[in-house]
Amino acid sequence: MRLQYIKEAWLVLVLGVFFGGALAGVHYQLGDRISRNKLADTLSQVPMLVSGSADSEPAQVGGMLVYRAMDEAGQTLGWVLPAGGPGFADRLELLIGLDARAEKITGLYVLDQKETPGLGNRIVEQIWRGQFKGTQTDRAIKLVKTAPGENQVQAITGATISSQSVTDIVNRSVRDFRAAMDEANK
Amino acid sequence: MNNANGPTGLERFINGILPENPTYRQVLGMCPTLAVTAGMAPAMTMAGAVMFVLICANIMISIIRPLLKPHLRILVFTLTIAAFVTLADRFLAAYMYEMSKQLGPYVPLIIVNCIIICRCEVCASKQSVRAAAADALGQSFGFALGLASIATVREILGSGCWFGLRVLPDAWPGWVVMILPPGAFLTLGLLMGAVNWIAQARKASPA
Amino acid sequence: MDYVTSLILIAVSTALINNVVLHYFVGICPFIGVSREVGMAVGMGAAVTFVTVVAAALSWVLTYYIMAPGAPLTSWVWTLIHPGSQAVVDLSVLSYVVYIFVIAASVQLVEMYVRKFFPALYKAFGVFLPLITTNCVILFVCLEIMKHVSGATGPAFWTLDKALVYAFFAGVGFAVAILIMAGLREELDHCDVPAPLKGPGITLIIAGILALAFLGFTGVDKSLADLLR
Repeated sequence: MRLQYIKEAWLVLVLGVFFGGALAGVHYQLGDRISRNKLADTLSQVPMLVSGSADSEPAQVGGMLVYRAMDEAGQTLGWVLPAGGPGFADRLELLIGLDARAEKITGLYVLDQKETPGLGNRIVEQIWRGQFKGTQTDRAIKLVKTAPGENQVQAITGATISSQSVTDIVNRSVRDFRAAMDEANK
Repeated sequence: MNNANGPTGLERFINGILPENPTYRQVLGMCPTLAVTAGMAPAMTMAGAVMFVLICANIMISIIRPLLKPHLRILVFTLTIAAFVTLADRFLAAYMYEMSKQLGPYVPLIIVNCIIICRCEVCASKQSVRAAAADALGQSFGFALGLASIATVREILGSGCWFGLRVLPDAWPGWVVMILPPGAFLTLGLLMGAVNWIAQARKASPA
Repeated sequence: MDYVTSLILIAVSTALINNVVLHYFVGICPFIGVSREVGMAVGMGAAVTFVTVVAAALSWVLTYYIMAPGAPLTSWVWTLIHPGSQAVVDLSVLSYVVYIFVIAASVQLVEMYVRKFFPALYKAFGVFLPLITTNCVILFVCLEIMKHVSGATGPAFWTLDKALVYAFFAGVGFAVAILIMAGLREELDHCDVPAPLKGPGITLIIAGILALAFLGFTGVDKSLADLLR
């Protein structure tokens, strides 16, 4: 009886091969476009994160994948760090802009988040993200609930955990990158 | 043209929209109905993807129906559907990347969407290509109608927008729960109750 | 401790916080259809957990060794055909088709195994096994595994043990949700449900209230992570 199943399976196998070939053709046609879409997501943010940059390229610094922002002459203007970590509801994906010596943060962008609409997902607003611009990287950024001072960021009312998650991710990634840069420059 | 074996194409098409509506009457395909109806735009994109896959799968299964063996037919259905869903998924990722990210894992889940497998089983594996295509079209419209009804309620009550355009005054606080999972379940449950109530009322009064 | 911590976090997060039924909306059709009695719910939950773990194991192996971009086996075969080629071989376009085969095969395997070695168990939940081929939960688990294996690096990459823990607790989460619903619906039999809402209507409304309750778990995994760090 099992032999009968195997004999009947010829249609499944033929279809499998036929569809496999068709899908390989689809991949051949659309694959490039899809990977360009994925990259464009990140690269399109670079000019905003490191002002004045004309071009960017991926680079490996001490094992970390980052993007180097350059001006027309090819000089390093700054760095863009992809960073991620747990948020309140799900994982957060960020892009952090740094100056050439990784001493100041030049911008922050939220690539992906699934926080609570109207509360946690206000971390994508330019007003809130802009607080990170100009902060120093030699010490950790602190999250406060009142008016922020030097190297401090004010939390969103009712979304403390989302705000804290972003701050933690930024602090951790910047610290790792600085360590990686020191390693590479040694 | 009346097929000796089942309803005609036109009957299948009309049935699919309201009388045998996949969301409210057959209670099938619940997963995308709840997941992507937080807004009209993702809901309509999903309806479009399901329409594409349903029509292609129905036509293909109808063409190869003389070759189908009873034991392995479900596997053949899912295989065909999986291939077309991959096509739809890649197309979305290439040409509508933002929407593709928003729909996330729910496009591949069309593969196990009960609606499509059910239509293949009930109609496409037994009737001509014309009837199968008409059936697919009707069911897709019915599904789109179901999705639109839920998405409208959730988006308007949840964010005051429809298709991203503001329709309620800014003073509307926005019921966040509508956008979150509980809102999906509650909206669908209450709407289903409403549809059943209307259907019962029409049956009671002689039309 | 770090390793055990990450496993605990995956387990808690999958079973409770991001419950597959109440947060990700997969497996709703059996959730509505099979939750009338606690006995049936137990059977369905067990069947789904078994098949999910088997399917997850097979998917992980196939994805890692064959379908991911730059996978070991495919790259090796490619270098046999085109020696010295630097191209990255990416078969991930075939993922969905392969996963369907894997799920069908897993259902067959589990059915044969349980029928042979645990006939009493087979009588308990064997009837649900053919239904599971079209269960969204298993495909969803396979897709999550693909997301964390294909092209993922560092902490986002799941080794086989993490994938199996995830699959097992996804099944457990489904079982918990369907069990709670079955218990509630058994009580509902004694209540006066309005006619239009009988059946799927009232089930969905209860599911909505359950989802509200489970929303209370949000953020627990982050706090747990901070606590265990």
